[in-house]
Amino acid sequence: MTEAYLVAQDLHKSFNEHKAVDGVSFSIEKGEIFGLLGPNGAGKTTTIRMLSTVLEPDSGDIIVGGYSVRHNADAVRNLIGVCPQELALYEELSALDNLVFFGRMAGLNGKEAKAQALSHLELLGLKERAKGRVDKFSGGMKRRVNLAVSLMGHPQFLFLDEPTVGIDPQSRNNIYETIEALRDKGMTILYTTHYMEEADRLCKRVAIIDGGRIIALDTPLTLRSKIGPPEQVTLEDVFLRLTGRSLRD
Amino acid sequence: MATNSHGGKVLDKLAKPLLIALLQVRIYLKDRADLAFSFLLPIAIFALTYGAFGGETSFNGTAHIVNEEEGGLYSALLLDRLGEVDNLDVDLLSASKAESKLDRVDLLMVVFIPSDFSERLEAGEPAKLVFKQRGNGGDEGQIVASIVGGVANRMAQELQVRNEVAEAVADTGISQSDMENTVQQLLENERESPSVTVEEEIVGVSPDIVNDLMPGILVMFVLFAITLTARALVEERKRGTLERLLTTQLSIGQLFVGKFLVNFSRGLIQALVLILLAYAVFQMFTPLAFVESLVIVIAFVAAVSSLGLIIGSIARSEDQSIWIAVFFTMATVILGGTFFEIPESGILSVLSKLSINSYAIDAFETIISDGDSLSDIGIQLGVMTGVAVIGLFIGRSLFRVMPGGR
Ligand SMILES: Nc1ncnc2c1ncn2[C@@H]1O[C@H](COP(=O)(O)OP(=O)(O)OP(=O)(O)O)[C@@H](O)[C@H]1O
Ligand SMILES: [Mg+2]
Repeated sequence: MTEAYLVAQDLHKSFNEHKAVDGVSFSIEKGEIFGLLGPNGAGKTTTIRMLSTVLEPDSGDIIVGGYSVRHNADAVRNLIGVCPQELALYEELSALDNLVFFGRMAGLNGKEAKAQALSHLELLGLKERAKGRVDKFSGGMKRRVNLAVSLMGHPQFLFLDEPTVGIDPQSRNNIYETIEALRDKGMTILYTTHYMEEADRLCKRVAIIDGGRIIALDTPLTLRSKIGPPEQVTLEDVFLRLTGRSLRD
Repeated sequence: MATNSHGGKVLDKLAKPLLIALLQVRIYLKDRADLAFSFLLPIAIFALTYGAFGGETSFNGTAHIVNEEEGGLYSALLLDRLGEVDNLDVDLLSASKAESKLDRVDLLMVVFIPSDFSERLEAGEPAKLVFKQRGNGGDEGQIVASIVGGVANRMAQELQVRNEVAEAVADTGISQSDMENTVQQLLENERESPSVTVEEEIVGVSPDIVNDLMPGILVMFVLFAITLTARALVEERKRGTLERLLTTQLSIGQLFVGKFLVNFSRGLIQALVLILLAYAVFQMFTPLAFVESLVIVIAFVAAVSSLGLIIGSIARSEDQSIWIAVFFTMATVILGGTFFEIPESGILSVLSKLSINSYAIDAFETIISDGDSLSDIGIQLGVMTGVAVIGLFIGRSLFRVMPGGR
């Protein structure tokens, strides 16, 4: 057993009586890509918001990089990068301006921020358009900028909330490669997606969450083997078997 | 964080608010139309004030005249002369119409030229004009009456000169027409380049109106911009950048200071445009009063910016922020005594103390109209500065990124 970088223990969160997260516990090992899968409204984003210090849990404890989110949120913020599900950018400004600004907010000085920004933009294939206004970008480019921003500073842990939603295979592959490169350099990542083959490819382990509770947690291979020969069963089959076919939300 | 070695903690704490403010400025700069609008607006407001009260420095009126003398030589001459007077229009109307307009209070003063006007003048008898008026004829009527009286007098004097000269030269053998021409020439010369002229030198507009209005306009302008401040936080939330910012090293306090700085600067620049114009065009300040007014403006803009951030903190959507801001501005304006005089005592007078406007207006009046100094407006300045500082803390404590959030 390698050391746990993030530990979530019995998290609960309700919005006006509605239980969005209902007793979620898991831990993520250092250097691991951990998938959080679940239908719409399952509680993935709410969980990420609590883990990333934005939302206070009604109860439960979170430890990130050895620091308690409840007691030492500032230290945790120093360690994390967050790529929110919705684009969170100043679209009137250039990609570079966005990255530099958030870099400075993450504590970099001007020079460091600019150097990092340029290298992240190159990594995500945006170097040519670095100085272009984000609101003139395609959906795929905006998604890549959104991801690039979360890399600013020196995060050791990334929360990626559906970073590949609504983009073409080219953009998606660029994002996969970026994430794999980050993992290879030791980054720990919590990843959510509705694309099961994506989770199968990237994630060492996945948790399937439904109605605010984790209903399965294991490696994709083990989960597939549970319902049939793993070569013939996809993660999507597992997902549908576990969460049922009825519509959510 | 690599800042403690240089700069130190305080600078480090201030750097992020400044970056937040600068970012907002860059966003403003990207939208040239918005930017131009926000700075042209104070100029437009100013131009409106100036057009309404500053530009018109001389009288402009209409003489309503009933000429009861058909084809009379001197009534025609009088009308001609009146037509030549600057700033006076001549409106001819029938006697019956004039009477009915006087009855209906459409008109307050009408000049009647009686039917024997020329006849009497030619006979060397005194002729008269009749000013029919309601009450004192109104301000305009009084001025018109004096202008008409003056023109008629002058005409009568000329006629008298002519008659007397004619009499004096009657036996000298000088021909009647030579005499007439010479006198005519002399009189015309005198009329065109009179030996005593009146020159108007305008040294500024009449102070009452502008002194009364400028502080009000300035205060309202700054106050209305509260909507923009209130929206700033909500907009950040809507963009999603708020949530993202709060996963960084930025504290909510720093975010507030940053938003305060940028909204304060915008309000200050706009207000500066206004008072600079007031200073340059209306000369409504002495240099000292100008500097003192600047101090009031700074305190007031700061207070309003903080209040805007409180509204932004409690509003859940852009519409909400706008409506709360509109309600707040209306209440402030009403309680500030803009629409009606607030009585010295009673519930309204107590409530008016809640209106931040009343402190600013009070302060301006003390400085501009009463000519007092900053030490006389310590209370007002103190209240405004207090609202600015306490408002920031209140806004901060009411603020939530999302329900149940930080
Ligand atoms: N701020 C909020 N106020 C009220 N209800 C909320 C709020 N945030 C989330 N919820 C509710 O909590 C539940 C979980 O939402 P959450 O966004 O965590 O789901 P999710 O798994 O991320 O879904 P998706 O795949 O659609 O992004 C949903 O029923 C949602 O409506
Ligand atoms: Mg979500």
